[in-house]
Formats: sequence, C-alpha cells, structure tokens
Amino acid sequence: MHISEGVLSAPVLVTGGALAAAGIAVGLKKIDYDHVARVGILSATIFVASLVHVPIGPSSVHLIMNGLVGLLLGWAAVPAIFVALLLQAVFFQFGGITVLGVNTVLMALPAVLCYYLFGPLIHKSRKVFLAAGFASGFFAVLLTALLVGLALMFTAESFFEVALLVVGAHLPIMIIEGIITAFCVGFLKKVQPDMLPN
Amino acid sequence: MKQLFLPSSERSGLPSSIGFFTASFAIREVVMPKIFKLSIFVTAMIVLVSGSAWAHSVVVFAWVEGDTVYVEGKFGSGRKVVDSPVEVYDSQGNLLLTGTTDKNGEFSFKARRKSEMKVVLLAGMGHRGEWTIPASDFDTAGSGEVTGAESSGPRQIAASGSVSAEEVVAGTDTPRVSPGYVTGAEMQAAIEAALDKKLKPMMKLLVDEKQSGPSMTEIMGGIGYIFGLVGVVAYMASRRKKSL
Repeated sequence: MHISEGVLSAPVLVTGGALAAAGIAVGLKKIDYDHVARVGILSATIFVASLVHVPIGPSSVHLIMNGLVGLLLGWAAVPAIFVALLLQAVFFQFGGITVLGVNTVLMALPAVLCYYLFGPLIHKSRKVFLAAGFASGFFAVLLTALLVGLALMFTAESFFEVALLVVGAHLPIMIIEGIITAFCVGFLKKVQPDMLPN
Repeated sequence: MKQLFLPSSERSGLPSSIGFFTASFAIREVVMPKIFKLSIFVTAMIVLVSGSAWAHSVVVFAWVEGDTVYVEGKFGSGRKVVDSPVEVYDSQGNLLLTGTTDKNGEFSFKARRKSEMKVVLLAGMGHRGEWTIPASDFDTAGSGEVTGAESSGPRQIAASGSVSAEEVVAGTDTPRVSPGYVTGAEMQAAIEAALDKKLKPMMKLLVDEKQSGPSMTEIMGGIGYIFGLVGVVAYMASRRKKSL
C-alpha cells in the first residue's frame, strides 16, 4: 500500500508530512528504554512484510501488517512504520521520499486506531482476544485502503471508485492479516504476554 | 504446542507482578532470549519472502524502433500492467498523447516529433511509473533517416533538372544517387532497422532484468539499518538513564 511519487497534489503531501511528523514526535515520546527492541523488531516486520506478495485478486498486493504493529506498539507504531517505509523507499523503490509522510499516515493512523479500539480487549477471554486480533488486522488494512482513496480523491480520481478498487484488491490481505494478527496475539499471550498492551 | 510453550509463559508471568524498574531488569534477562526467538520469526519470514514475487513498484520501459515507440509496463512482481492509461509528455511537460496498455501490458505509438519524451504509466490505486526517452534514441533510429531522405531528395532533382550552374556540384553527386547504388543514408537506415529487430529480444531481457525486484543484500541491509537504529536509540536511552 504505497502511493507512488508524483501522484498526489502538494497540499496532500504537506498535510501528510505534517501529520506524520506530529505522530512520530508523539510516538518517540512514548518509547522508553524497555520498548526500543520491540519497536525495532516490529519495524523490521513491516519492512519485510511488504515483500510478501499475495497473488490473489485483480491487482498486485502485499502484506501490510499495520494492524499487528499498531496493536502491539500503540503510538510507537508511527516511528516504526516511518523507518520501515523510509528503508523501503530507499532499497526497494516502493513509494518514495516525497510521499513518505502520506504513506506513513496511511498505515500508522489505522494502526493507532486499532490500538485504542482493540487493545483493551486483548486481556479478555480467549474467544474475545482472538476476535480482537482478527479485527485489528482486518480493519487496519480496510482503513488504510479507505485512506488511500481519500488521499487520491484530491487528485482527479473519485473517492468512491478508488476506495472500492483498493478495498476489493485488498480483501484477501484483510483476511490473511486478520488471521496472522489473531495467531500472533494468541502466540504472544502464551509466550510473551509482556509484549501485549496493558 | 501448549506444553512446549508452558515454561516460558510461567517465566514471563513473573515481571508483570514486580514494579516497573525491576521489570526492566527482568526484561533484559528473561525477555531478550524471547526477542531472539521473535527475530528468528522475522528471519523465517525473509526466507519465505526470497522465494516469492515482488510487488508494488511499477516499472515502465520504452524503446524506439524506427519512428515507433514501444512501451511496456510491469509491476515489480512481474505482473503486467494491463488496461492501464499511458500518458506521453514532451520535455516541457505538455501532454502529447494518451493510450491504454493491452493485455500484454504493452502500448505503442508513432512518434511525430523526435524529441525527448516522458512516458508515464498510471497503474491505478496510486501506482505510477515513468520512463524518459532521450532525444538521442530518436537521433540514431529516426531523425537521421528522415534528414537523410530530405537532403537526398532536392539534390536528386537538382541533378536531373538544372544543368549549367550547378553542374559541377551535381556532377560530383550523381554517382551516389543513381539507381543501383545504395546511398549512405539508406544503408544506415537499413542497418538500424535490422539492428532494432535483432536488439528487441535483448531489450526485453534488460527490462526483465530491471524488474527482478529487491535482492537479498538490500533486504538484509534494510533490516541491518533497523537493528542499528535500535542500538543507537537504546544507547541514548541508557545514557539518559545513567545521568538521572
């Protein structure tokens, strides 16, 4: 889910950049010594996840993993996603430097939202936390797809058309990420409950 | 599965009951091996990835054959960009023409002006790739041929029509334009046409090569950067902690 360079209009790029900068500032404040390694590992996960290409559906889509990262990191997901996207832009030519802010917001905003929506449900019963994990992975991708439509709306393309296209293309990804996130939450609950949000 | 993970879940239950600062020490001793376990997960993912295809960068490639420009678009995954709009701009950024890629992700057009062009492929959902055709691509393939034809035309007329004043000049030119002989320009055009034909598969090969996606070195490099950053941040945080 990267918007390429030269697609978006300047106001969108500037707004995205400003929002991303604010989010990174908040995120960095929330990272203390004990969380640094966790943020790094999840940043690496995002960096690599975009290389897992899912050949289902009409378009070329890949894993995003912002639901899992948001659920585990909260606000710290913003700098983690930013670093991953920066390195993807430099190494893989995914996205680009000028669209970095917008792409960060596209992925990080749903991540933080999922943290607040589903984070509290993690400590409930098994059924509830598995459902919360699935929902987190599912809705993070869905929201990102809607945000892509919103960002492209300001440059000629109509919101409804683009959003429908992006959501349709990412339907398999939503389900896959829902399952992965639910599995990860279940796994972490057994192995490493400290990693889950309080 | 459950039995396998039981000992670690017992251990990790420990720090949650202790205070915050003691927990941080526990994390260093108890959690680190688990983080190591997680990093194995990440590594496993990379191995999984290295076999799969790549997505999300759009690669456009355009080349010139005679006066026809061929455009080919692919996603980084190798999937062809089908039925997507193509826009061609000149060097000043004026839109020259638009088109759509066919089922093979290809599009071709006749170039009317032999100048620098920018081919932009809009692959949908915010994906976009571009390729610039330098004017030199046309110089060798197209305009050389055209100017050659133009310059030989009037000269031929001059040679057959006028006699007296230009006789000396025309006389030196006649052997080159007379039928049976091949002019330099014609020869050049023929060679270039043949070369274009022969080079086309090579060009295709180059395009495919260009689209092979990120290498293992790049992936590992990126992960290395992230772990390095973690180290830097952890170092800064630990210094702040000491100074407090």
